[in-house]
Amino acid sequence: MATSNEGGLSKYVTLVSSDGFEFVVLREAACKSGAIKRMLDPKSSFAESTTGRCTFEEINGIVLEKVAEYFYYSYKNRNQEDVPDMDIPPELCLELLMAADFLDT
Amino acid sequence: MNPPGPPAANRPSRQIRGPQSALTDFLASHNISANQIRQDALARRAAAVAAQQAAEGSGDNGDDAADAADSPSAEPEPLPARRRNESKAQSAKRKKEEEKAIARIKASKQFQRRRRQYGSDDEMSDEDEAARALFQETMAPLPGQMENCEICGKRFTVTAYSRAGPDGGLLCPKCTKELDQEEGSARKRRKTNAGRQRRQVQSNLLDGIYPGAKDLVTLCVETLAKNVDQAEDFGDLPPALIDRLAAILSKKRLLNPTTLDLFLKPDRDTVTVYDGAKLSSDDYIKIFQIVPKIKHLRLRNAVQFKNKVMDHLLDTTVELESLSLHGSNLIDDTRWDRFLTEKGSHLKALKIYHTDGYFGDEQIKLLAKTCPNLQRLKISHNQKVTDKGIAHIANLPGLQHLSLEIYKPTSSPPYVDVLNSIGPGLRTLSLATVYHIDDSVLKAIHENCQNIFKLRITDNEVLTDQGFANLFTNWYNPPLTYIDLHKCRHIDAAVPRDNPNGIGLASRGFEALMAHSGSTLRHLNVHSCRHISLESFEKVFAPGTQYPELREIDLSFCQNVNDFVVGSIFRACPNLKTLKVFGNFGVRDVRVPKGKILIGVPNALGMQIEGTGEDDGRVI
Repeated sequence: MATSNEGGLSKYVTLVSSDGFEFVVLREAACKSGAIKRMLDPKSSFAESTTGRCTFEEINGIVLEKVAEYFYYSYKNRNQEDVPDMDIPPELCLELLMAADFLDT
Repeated sequence: MNPPGPPAANRPSRQIRGPQSALTDFLASHNISANQIRQDALARRAAAVAAQQAAEGSGDNGDDAADAADSPSAEPEPLPARRRNESKAQSAKRKKEEEKAIARIKASKQFQRRRRQYGSDDEMSDEDEAARALFQETMAPLPGQMENCEICGKRFTVTAYSRAGPDGGLLCPKCTKELDQEEGSARKRRKTNAGRQRRQVQSNLLDGIYPGAKDLVTLCVETLAKNVDQAEDFGDLPPALIDRLAAILSKKRLLNPTTLDLFLKPDRDTVTVYDGAKLSSDDYIKIFQIVPKIKHLRLRNAVQFKNKVMDHLLDTTVELESLSLHGSNLIDDTRWDRFLTEKGSHLKALKIYHTDGYFGDEQIKLLAKTCPNLQRLKISHNQKVTDKGIAHIANLPGLQHLSLEIYKPTSSPPYVDVLNSIGPGLRTLSLATVYHIDDSVLKAIHENCQNIFKLRITDNEVLTDQGFANLFTNWYNPPLTYIDLHKCRHIDAAVPRDNPNGIGLASRGFEALMAHSGSTLRHLNVHSCRHISLESFEKVFAPGTQYPELREIDLSFCQNVNDFVVGSIFRACPNLKTLKVFGNFGVRDVRVPKGKILIGVPNALGMQIEGTGEDDGRVI
């Protein structure tokens, strides 16, 4: 893929939750989130763009896992029409909504 | 299978032979047909003979033959029962018999005739299949006759609707129902699924969710709306998300007194109810009780927001800065007067829709006295305001946004007065359904307005092309971002294509418009302006032109729009999201670039998307 040969950027990035869980996610999938995309943009000169590691102090592991799941769901369905909706447990809904709003997803 | 239909020559035709005998009549009354009995006997005899011959021919012993075909005198054993109990050898034999019979059918003249009649390729493509169908048809009992069910073995009356079972025999109604339920539901669902899917794709397309998955925020909001009955509190969601939730709950008609509570928090300053049809007067009063610091109130379909609620509002210390009321047609003029007098001093925005018989000229007159801070005024779907009332708007010097949609016929002079008075301060101007205003209004806009970024003038049959051209030529106003001039066109039922007096937005006006505002324009609606010529479109969107801001264009019912124009627009507007072309029959087969949406292509396929960049092209 194009990402692997752009200045030696890793194909994968690591998302870290507030309680220390780490999720290694395909860069292209994670860039579905506008916030993460801006963090990782090589031109942005954020620390995240060099380390490929994003720490989210306000998102816990359970929610971040769901977010990572969404990234892959979205990546898998990126060119499909009539995509079945992803299942979201109602109890996670509000927290996930806050996270999604924060991540611009 | 037992296909009904083809007129089989060997089917027992009813024989009409004069008066019936008493016995025949009696039997018929008990649903027994003498004719049928004879036919059955004949068939049995023929089968026996055939079997005998076959047995002799193939050298089988007579025992087998007797076993294979029932002897004519014996009561015919019910077919399914025999099949159920038959041994392997018997089954093999039966199969052999069947094959022979089918071979005979194939050779028969009647079969050849029927094949010719059907045409050899479509319905009965396979010769074997066709012969088998014919065989089973001759074996199958006729409607009205008794038969044993293939599955349960019970006797039942055969009807035209009797269903064939898995082995070719007929089924009783009960077993038919069971079998239908087993496979029928799947079959039915598959059928409706295709239609649902197509509609869903089109619906998503119109919503702009296309292609790929919905974003996570949308998914969460939808899930939350689905489970709103479990929610106790939205926590500290940002206002933008609260608004989206309010919208989706109303869309799903879930906004009721219980869910309203989720939106009422004492520290909020905004309450939006997009569909208040299920709320009572007390619920509206509750809004002011729970949220006393409310500044922005927006209610739609708020029928129950009536005098009682208004009285309560007047008794509170609530100081509304913006009020948007839709459908509150039970607040009388006295209450409106009191509201404007007592609460008007804080009011910055007032939007009222569908007030029916209330809110007229007197109230607008009062606005000038009591609402010195009013910046935004919208009076929409109003049945009471007249020219006189519109003239009073000229006395609102602070007004920046004006939107009127008045039902009573209005004329140009009051609009000109208003524009002469407050035109310089206006930032948006929307005059909908102004059937009779003339070019003097356009002239007043041209002369007075210098800060407008949104302009709407719709449903007019008087304004001329020249008038529009003059408006947009050498206009001191900076380029606009929103222009809606739909249905400004000449109407003549007899000669619809001619426009001798140059009425409506046509070629010159359109070119002047794009020349003036093209650089910043985001929304353009010239729906039904059908006298804009093809040359004009080609010139405006010619190679080399660029309209970087255009997001949405509506060119519906502009009859000169064709494939080439649409292609040129896609090229000239890099940020375009949607283009509407309803009723433009010149648009036939356009490839739509990825990420853009073309709505209203007049063919069954809808639009075709071409892949650009990294992904493959797809066709929907």
